Amino acid sequence: MESRRPAPQPVNEDVQVFNTLQQPELLQLLVDSIKDYAIIMLDPHGTVISWNPAAERLKGWSAEEIIGQHFSRFYPPEDVEQGKTDMELRMAAQDGRFEDEGWRVRKDGSRFWANVIVTPLRHRDGRLLGFGKVTRDLTERRNAEEKIKRQAQEIVEMAAVPVVQVWQGIVLVPLIGTLDSQRTQQLMERLLNKVTESSSPVALVDITGVPAIDTQTAQHLIEAIAAVRLLGSEVVLTGVRPSIAQTLVHLGIDLTNVTTRSSLSAGLRRALEMLDLKIVPKGSVNV
Amino acid sequence: MNAARGEVPITVEGDIVAVRRLLREVAQEVGFGTTDVTRVVTAASELARNAYKYGGGGVMRWQVIEANGRRGIELKFIDQGPGIVDVSRALEQGYTTGKGLGLGLPAAKRLMDEIDIQSIVGSGTTVTSRKWCSM
Amino acid sequence: MGEYAISVVKVRDTLLVTVPAEPDDSTVSALQERVLGAMERHDPKRVVLDISAVETLDSFFARTVSETARMVTLMGGRTIIVGMRPAVAITATQIGVTLSGIETALTVERALEQTDPLTAR
Repeated sequence: MESRRPAPQPVNEDVQVFNTLQQPELLQLLVDSIKDYAIIMLDPHGTVISWNPAAERLKGWSAEEIIGQHFSRFYPPEDVEQGKTDMELRMAAQDGRFEDEGWRVRKDGSRFWANVIVTPLRHRDGRLLGFGKVTRDLTERRNAEEKIKRQAQEIVEMAAVPVVQVWQGIVLVPLIGTLDSQRTQQLMERLLNKVTESSSPVALVDITGVPAIDTQTAQHLIEAIAAVRLLGSEVVLTGVRPSIAQTLVHLGIDLTNVTTRSSLSAGLRRALEMLDLKIVPKGSVNV
Repeated sequence: MNAARGEVPITVEGDIVAVRRLLREVAQEVGFGTTDVTRVVTAASELARNAYKYGGGGVMRWQVIEANGRRGIELKFIDQGPGIVDVSRALEQGYTTGKGLGLGLPAAKRLMDEIDIQSIVGSGTTVTSRKWCSM
Repeated sequence: MGEYAISVVKVRDTLLVTVPAEPDDSTVSALQERVLGAMERHDPKRVVLDISAVETLDSFFARTVSETARMVTLMGGRTIIVGMRPAVAITATQIGVTLSGIETALTVERALEQTDPLTAR
């Protein structure tokens, strides 16, 4: 394919120099100047035969160091062991193109998240001469994506395990649903962090919204309560309905060291007592 | 720090803290949350102490691992000590030999996702454990 | 690190012990020595152990602290642990550290309030 030059126009000196370059030189200039894409060539076996400045910047090796080495050096050891590098070349040769996103390794051993496109380079007669490989560093984009994912998860977690300060010194966790390991983790982290931040001596854990309690949920609850205790706070377990009380006794769960109440309001009253506080109707005299 | 693996000698008592400090940084870089960082460091402290006190000293090798799109950390504690006679018992909660292997192994087992112990009596012990970042 | 990384201060009838972030094993062992020595010299009613800087609480640390607390009780005092970090509490619970027989408090102030003999519950 011939490149077509624009129609002659009044030109300044720079453009004149540019126009005198032949196509191969132009393409070389392009490859050498691109900062964001590592553009390299491999022979049919995967040995590096050409290297652009962006590749050095991205991966660490200089052209002298890397030309002649196999391109599996850029891959984490577990990928090489699984034969990923051979697979990439095979698929590229087969399909005319191979694209992938994954971890790659730099000269210093550090990792970056890459988008890679491998293209087979063929002679006019169809012979495979080698491969072209374009690599882009997507670590920043991936970090940004991970951050968004984390934040979204935090929002979901907050809704899933809300921890609310209902009074100075009293933190409330209205649990809804069952407690699997993951939710227990979230519960413990959020509850303990809140207790520490707000210096709250009492934590109300309300299980009114927990439909059924199995051994696992009960164990998780006990663990969470034990952790809050280690911080120096007391836990009042509220919303213990008759059916839950039955289950806990039948399961042999030991709650002797835990203050429990059947309703949240009873629990709140107890929490206030623990803080030497009392709710008094307006206008009554404090005896 | 961008290295994906490393080695720390465990030859003097102070190395146990050195292991904790290093792994705290590494675990944070790998992307573990605060609580998981503490789990990794605590497990490492237990295993480092075992290697130092009962293994006669040794080495810790760590590396960042990746599988199924998740990152994780692998710790290998290697000593040339007397070895463990009954590995499965040693992993049971609360098991104590006369020499006091004690609670270190059960603790490490609870805190890490995977743990594997290779031990030859009279020759030495290698404890390999892994933890993965939660999604 | 040295045993003097741990600060031990007597305030009236209370011993305030502050533990640094990553104490090595000999520092942890020295904690027991120093607390018992101070118990003998000053006979405080309470030992407040501030671990708010501690980032790793493994079985060795837990065992030493539990033993120390038991000894303090035998010598007529109470031990209150203050300022455990959330991540440390969660990990400790997971490995079965119960610190039974030891009281805990959110802050040094609360520790003193909670255990004030004049307002004892």
